[in-house]
Amino acid sequence: MGIGPSTKETSLHHFRDPLLEVVSEDTDLDLLGLIIVGTPDDNKDKMLVGTRAAAMAECMRADGVIISSDGWGNSDVDYTNTCEQLGIRGIPVTGLNFSGTVAKFVVVNDYLDGIIDINKSADGTETDVVGENNMVKVDCLKAKALLKLKMRHKDELEGR
Amino acid sequence: MAEKEIDLRRLVIKAFHMTDVEWGEHNNITTDGHMTVSKEMIDQLVAQDDCIEKIDIQIIKPGDHDRWTNTIMDIIPISTKVLGKLGEGITHTITGVYVMLTGVDVNGKQCHEFGSSEGNLKEQLYLNRAGTPGDDDYIISFDVTFAAGMGQERHGPFTAHRLCDEFIQTYRDKLKKFKGDKCTERHEYHDKVRPGKKKVVIIRQVAGQGAMYDTWMFPDEPSGVEGGRSIIDMGNMPVMITPNEYRDGIIRSMQ
Repeated sequence: MGIGPSTKETSLHHFRDPLLEVVSEDTDLDLLGLIIVGTPDDNKDKMLVGTRAAAMAECMRADGVIISSDGWGNSDVDYTNTCEQLGIRGIPVTGLNFSGTVAKFVVVNDYLDGIIDINKSADGTETDVVGENNMVKVDCLKAKALLKLKMRHKDELEGR
Repeated sequence: MAEKEIDLRRLVIKAFHMTDVEWGEHNNITTDGHMTVSKEMIDQLVAQDDCIEKIDIQIIKPGDHDRWTNTIMDIIPISTKVLGKLGEGITHTITGVYVMLTGVDVNGKQCHEFGSSEGNLKEQLYLNRAGTPGDDDYIISFDVTFAAGMGQERHGPFTAHRLCDEFIQTYRDKLKKFKGDKCTERHEYHDKVRPGKKKVVIIRQVAGQGAMYDTWMFPDEPSGVEGGRSIIDMGNMPVMITPNEYRDGIIRSMQ
């Protein structure tokens, strides 16, 4: 189990990605760049590559991360681990993921409270309709707003 | 006090809109919005690799979606570098028409790993998303029939993407020579540092498990295949790219 057609991100999607648009045009944010990380088959590899992505964000001194995923099910193992690895490094994280009614996280941890469900189908299922359950601009705006809130909350806790 | 923004580099994307697409002797595009599509390349493309049995090319008019489609492997914009490398300089792209790659093997096995989108196109393709054509867009259907079982081997789908890219390249070669001032839209993007602001990173988790679940990066041309490499072959390890590299088509989706 891995990706489903309705969450598939086409080459055209990557060419005109709404998440990049939303983050880059926000003058309150300094977008450092994008980390592209694969979704390996092997469980040990899944932990490795996601942890390296989180370490990369830490090395860049990122104040916050928005993470997206183009699949569901099996790829949630990678996704939730990367969220956790960011969380334990003290980096606020929000994100976009397809859950609906069929794809609730297969593993959970304490760092998933900022994840927006990008399901668009009426019954919350994998519809096999290409593009249907893709992220749209309003999803990205929500994830960005939530991240700003989380970063501010962290500042308040640390007395800044 | 806020420090000033630092401008790192500029990317200009010029779009040329196609208003009509029809059959012609050769693949061609003109700055006044006419595109012709030819089947003349098909024999040469099919002959390149034993894993491919047949290729069909069709023009799908806007709204004419009440028709059979094999599973959709990708929707691809036609874009080309005119000046500089991916992420900087000038890129030309076509709007109004996108290429749709579909695939099945000779025994009717659809080319997809988990869930497939074959069926009536009007029910299987959700229009007007970032990654799908709009209501008024033409689609060039590039439909590949694989030898038995080859739609499930990594070499099969990769070859389909590569041959489709060779087909698209004929348009890129023409698009490259278009006079920039004839464009229908012009977009300017800057990689910027905003000192003193909250530093944010976007992590995009992409496909990397095999045959129909691969992601291709660093092609020579935007959203292309040639010259690129697979994230699987890079061990699925995280790779950093700049915002402008991403919006210039540095990723070819092979899932």
